[in-house]
Amino acid sequence: MWGMTSGALTGLGYPIVQHTLDNGLRVISSPDHLAPSVAVNIWYDVGSRDEEEGRTGFAHLFEHVMFQGSAHVASGQHIALLQASGAVVNATTWFDRTNYFETLPTGGLDLALWLEADRMATLLDALTQENLDTQREVVKEEKRQRYDNVPYGNVMELLNTLTFPPDHPYGHTTIGSMEDLDAATLEDVHGFFRRHYLPNNAVLSIAGDVEPEDAFERADLYFGSLASGVKPPKPDNGSLPSLSGLPRVETSGKVPADAVYFSWRLPATGGKDFDALDLGLSILGHGQTSRLHKQLVRGNEHAEGTSASAMGLIGGNSFGFSYARSRDGVPPEQLEHEMAELIDQLLTDGPTEEELRRAKAQFERHWLHELARVDSRADALGEYATLHGDPHLINSRIAEITAVGSEEVRDAVREWLHPDQRATLIYRQQAS
Amino acid sequence: MREFRPRPSIAPAGVWAFPSPRRGRLSNGIELMIFDLPGQHVIAAHLVLDVPLNAERRDIEGVATMCARTLDEGTRRHNGEEFAELLETEGAGFGVDLSLAGLQIVLDVPASHLERALELFAEAVIEPSLTDRDVNRHVQLRLAEIEQAQANSAQTASMAFRAAVFDETTRAARMSGGEPDTVRQVTPDAVTAFHHDHFGPSGATLVLAGDFAEDPIAVAERCLGSWQNEDQRQVSIQEATPGRRHTLLVDRPGAVQADVRFGSFGIDRLDPRWAGISVASYAMGGAFLSRLNSVLREEKGYTYGVRMNFGPLRTGGSFAVQGSFRTDVLVDALAATRDLIKVDAVPFTSQEVNDAVAFFTGVSPLRYATADGVADQAATQVLAGLPDDYVDRSLALLRSVTPEAATEAYGSVVHPDDLTLVVVGDAERLADPLRASGFEDLEVRTVVG
Repeated sequence: MWGMTSGALTGLGYPIVQHTLDNGLRVISSPDHLAPSVAVNIWYDVGSRDEEEGRTGFAHLFEHVMFQGSAHVASGQHIALLQASGAVVNATTWFDRTNYFETLPTGGLDLALWLEADRMATLLDALTQENLDTQREVVKEEKRQRYDNVPYGNVMELLNTLTFPPDHPYGHTTIGSMEDLDAATLEDVHGFFRRHYLPNNAVLSIAGDVEPEDAFERADLYFGSLASGVKPPKPDNGSLPSLSGLPRVETSGKVPADAVYFSWRLPATGGKDFDALDLGLSILGHGQTSRLHKQLVRGNEHAEGTSASAMGLIGGNSFGFSYARSRDGVPPEQLEHEMAELIDQLLTDGPTEEELRRAKAQFERHWLHELARVDSRADALGEYATLHGDPHLINSRIAEITAVGSEEVRDAVREWLHPDQRATLIYRQQAS
Repeated sequence: MREFRPRPSIAPAGVWAFPSPRRGRLSNGIELMIFDLPGQHVIAAHLVLDVPLNAERRDIEGVATMCARTLDEGTRRHNGEEFAELLETEGAGFGVDLSLAGLQIVLDVPASHLERALELFAEAVIEPSLTDRDVNRHVQLRLAEIEQAQANSAQTASMAFRAAVFDETTRAARMSGGEPDTVRQVTPDAVTAFHHDHFGPSGATLVLAGDFAEDPIAVAERCLGSWQNEDQRQVSIQEATPGRRHTLLVDRPGAVQADVRFGSFGIDRLDPRWAGISVASYAMGGAFLSRLNSVLREEKGYTYGVRMNFGPLRTGGSFAVQGSFRTDVLVDALAATRDLIKVDAVPFTSQEVNDAVAFFTGVSPLRYATADGVADQAATQVLAGLPDDYVDRSLALLRSVTPEAATEAYGSVVHPDDLTLVVVGDAERLADPLRASGFEDLEVRTVVG
């Protein structure tokens, strides 16, 4: 699948063919006949960043409603019919997207497309107050299980709030608040569906055991007659400047160890500066040879775990994070100081060539893994088509990362991870 | 207007079989299983060591985990950080996996870097430094990891269930990584001794899967073929046996949800009822519209999801209904569960059986589409004593399951009135209602930590 010259990777060669239906639905095909399976993945260009004031968590609640039936599909039957044809089925909601996907034996492709098209066309025909209320309870259980009843479960929410203004699209979490979930109405569901769930606001990726012409023909058969609409404008908050004023929050909870978190505003994903920061944060805090681990976990043993990473987002800014959890008796302020010193050092010296080579090699393995399965490949195609306008980018990601030089990493971390530009969260163990 | 098309039918599934390995043997006796998988550019290597966890001395349980976790902290040839740096420069990922039946050391690496990475991998396995400082740090990190687990409701529930469902004298009743009292006793000398006594080529299997750029057998021979350990001791696996029935509430004051495990001792994959149980557990608590999830999630909104899981061991196993429920519906959810898991009056239907068989058959090509998926399954088979064509055989057996066989297998394993219950939640709000709802023998425990 790739060309090799003198041991260096020049580019991947996964076949990608695009076709846009008359109603604006973008269809992407990536044929792969190694297994008799096909992955279907729809990215809708709507996420928690599109939520309105007082309706945090709504995009995700809506995702649940999408499984409650449509004109020709009874509640719960979307997943049931697909599982009974051998499918793995799910959906996720994130800041920038909502994706729905199933991977199944090739003979079930028509069923998958029919089900996806039926709910894209007729979701509201089946919607009832009872279905909405039940899924609201399910989502509240999800929030309790994944956030409220888990140690450090509110960290993401605290960091969102520290890093972005409350009315910013990234100023709240995707799971939202209990109050806003309670406030959601049937009218909200109607409005959200009509506004965002349009063929011309979606990308359909079909990867696996089907040829492009065949995939396009079937997509047209099931989706071709759906009406397009006015593509909703994306929230436009521009690119915010880096944080200033060193925002800081201290909190406590029933957690087994004190912890320190840093966050930064970074540039949006899709450019070389983001890639450089991704590598820079990886050198700082990803894996056993990262600077944080070497110094704080392995070296002076002040931390039981450390990490740093960049979370790519499309709407003007991304997030950068770092954290460390204290070993017994080490005050979090000391860890904070030591983390800050290590970051300063990275800013001063830049990465070594060795560090950069390792970070790139780890990225390469991660990316090859990502594309090795038809389901994650279909998802990557949807992501790059939706957010960056070009699915072919999946084939050039490794080359792009390889092209980032150590000076570029140094310059990017100096510009974006300056000591004045971070927010700090101190999480203390509640005295019991 | 949209043109309505009737729901399409499903075309028959294509032919698929689990890949067949090339079998071989290195000159020192290590068994080789090679899976040639075109298009899989990240090679997966699993070295499976026949070291069951009952090889650990009782008072230092956790020693196998400390040994495995310290392997990549430096070797006699490459000290400390240098080793990890070399491995990461090859784009390799190194990991370990410990289960009751044995130990796996895992390498993932792009095909073009296989030889250099496997050389380093072999160094870590054969001649790790296991320094005092590294071992002591891993002991402390393991203790911190246990504290994190104890602070987590779901993990606390799983730990308490495990301790209850297996006989307390067997290794299966205790965490694979060791409990605090034994982890604290693990010394660097004990770790070095464990490595010396139990790591060796006898009984080992190397699984390699992917799209190889060079002959993997020759590479494996160069890297691992000369490994010898004349002092290697082999220990046979201890059978897990059932514990007595428990009804436990682990107190988590103020918790907004309660985590539930409701189950008992189970069966393993070699049991003739395994195919029937697989079908039954999917219908009861595996499918999205399983009997449990369709009521407790989709109809009542009590939970984000509820499952019934069967966890096979080499011999025996365990099973449980598991889920998290908000505190004020927990008692109702348990009452509904107790009714739903009874099948005497409502045996499994042919529709349920067909759906389960179609699901397991359909997901297999995807599950085993990657090098790590295949290698992981092959390694699991080695540890469970299963044949190379196990996946194909078990799918064939599934297709022969009748509704009667599924119901009978389920009924012979799941005795709804004799299950162990573990609830982790707010005792002040839950203890009395649970007792009143039929769990009169409820024992309330407080977790220290």
